[in-house]
Formats: sequence, C-alpha cells, structure tokens
Amino acid sequence: MFSWLETTAVANWVALSLWAYPALLSLHIVGLAIVVGIFAMRDLRLAGFVKGIDPRIFVNLAPFAWFGFTLNLVSGLLLFTSQATVLVTNPPFLIKIACIFAGMLLAGTIHSRLRKQSVSASFYVTMLSEEGTLRPLALLSLTIWAAAISAGRLIAYF
Amino acid sequence: MLRSFASNLADSSLNQLISETVWLWPVLEIIHFIGLSILLGALLIIDMRLLGLFKSFDAASVNRLAPLAWIGFLFNLITGALFFIGDPVRYSVNIGFQLKMLLILIAGVNLVAYQLQVRPLMAAWNSGSPTTPVAKAIAATSLLAWTGVLLLGRLIPYVGTG
Repeated sequence: MFSWLETTAVANWVALSLWAYPALLSLHIVGLAIVVGIFAMRDLRLAGFVKGIDPRIFVNLAPFAWFGFTLNLVSGLLLFTSQATVLVTNPPFLIKIACIFAGMLLAGTIHSRLRKQSVSASFYVTMLSEEGTLRPLALLSLTIWAAAISAGRLIAYF
Repeated sequence: MLRSFASNLADSSLNQLISETVWLWPVLEIIHFIGLSILLGALLIIDMRLLGLFKSFDAASVNRLAPLAWIGFLFNLITGALFFIGDPVRYSVNIGFQLKMLLILIAGVNLVAYQLQVRPLMAAWNSGSPTTPVAKAIAATSLLAWTGVLLLGRLIPYVGTG
C-alpha cells in the first residue's frame, strides 16, 4: 500500500517538483508554530509557569489551534506520500505520530475540563476551581509536544 | 565584512567542537524548534489581541505572555549563534539566512515601537477594550515579520547564495 502511495501522481509531484517539497515544509512549520505555540502557552499557564491569565481564553483560541493542526495534517500527509515506504519503518517518525495522537487527545480532555471550570478572579490572580488537577495534564502535554518536535527533527538522522 | 568574519569563525575551536560533535547539531535543532514554538505562541496570542481578533481577552493579562516570547527568543538566539559558528561560511552567503536576519532586525525595531506606543496604553486596557490603529499596525508587522522569519529559516537549505 505504501509503495503504491509513492507511485501516485501526488507523490510524484511532491518528490519531483522543485518547489513542492520546500513549500510544504514551509506550511508545516507555520502550522507547527500555531498549534504547538498555542498549546504550549495553555500548558505553561496551567502548569503555573505563567500567572494572572484566565486560562479559559485557551478554549476561545482552540479553533485557531485546530487550524494550525489541519494545516499540518494536510501538508504532513502530502510530504508523507513522497517517502511513505521509508517513513513507515522510521522509528522517530512513528514516535512523532504517536505523540501527536496523544497530544491531540489530551488537548480535547484539557479543553473540555477548562469549559467546566468556574473562576475566582481578582486583579492579579485568576484561579480555577480545579487548578491542581489540571497541572499534571499540562505537564504531560508539554512533554508530549516536546517529544513530538524532537522526534520530528530526528527523522532525517535515522 | 560578514564573509571575513565567517572565515575567522570557521577556524575557531568552537567551530571544531560543533562540527565534530555528531549529536550536537540535532540537539540544537530540537531546542531551536521548541524555542520558536514558545516565541511564536506568545506573540501570536498578544498580536491577535492587538489586532482586535479576541477583544474579550483581558489585554493586560495577555501581555503577561511577553516574558515567554523573550525566553523563546533567547533559546533561539543561543542555538542560532551556535549554528552560525558551526557552519559560518554556508550561512553568511545564504540569501535565506541574510533576509531572515534582516526580518529579525525589523521585528526588533517594531518591538521598540510596541514598547513606546502600545505597552503603556495596554496596561489600562481590559476585557473588551477596543484596539487602536497604531496597535493594529504594530501587531500586523510583528506577525508578518515572524512568519517571514519562520519561512526563510526553513528555506535556508533550498535557496542559493546572495
């Protein structure tokens, strides 16, 4: 199936066009900055590294993060077609995909918990009713996305 | 000037260390990518608020993400400098690298404008406060400059000499 994928017209275009591959890589890094950037801000806030921000803003920002994710899903699938047979046996690639699945599932959990929070706000401190239980989830999410980026960078070295 | 600086660096002992330590380059790349995520994540949220996209956010508290942008930038300044020292001749003549540095400079000037023109106003803003044309222009410049930095950085291996 993966060797068939590499023979499709799309895969040929990605592999042979002078600009297709770098253009897709460019989209992929913009998407990365959006989705990981927004999730990282959310997690750093929930883990307590930044204070004084109402974490419910990250529920409003979620559609924007999904946009970054979609950008990377599409550009990532197109990049994948051109090297499918090599990538499916590349350990960092497989770890990266597993991390992305875990990170997106965890984002769904964190956002649904955030929607249910009640907030006690004063001028400088915004506390959630479940501040303490969200903290380990945020630390886990930060670790997962750092691992996804690390594995992604290592694909070329294996 | 840049080229003679580059060839001096190419003879340095730090250059030797970076180019001979096999695992160091991918580690620097990983830190550079994590740094860019933190920098862009913080800027994106602040700039979108300045553009008026998320007016419901309390502007003064969104501004509390600014130190994270600095931390991300610092990560990338250090790792970026090590990339340059590790392969100075290749970077110094690369048009993608040169334009990337120019855009970072523009972003720096824009940041000064933000500090002088927007930050003092923002302290008094809260949830629902409207933005101003100057704030919008500065935020748009910031987003465009940093998107350009991302794209040019990614394209360094694919573009020629300048």
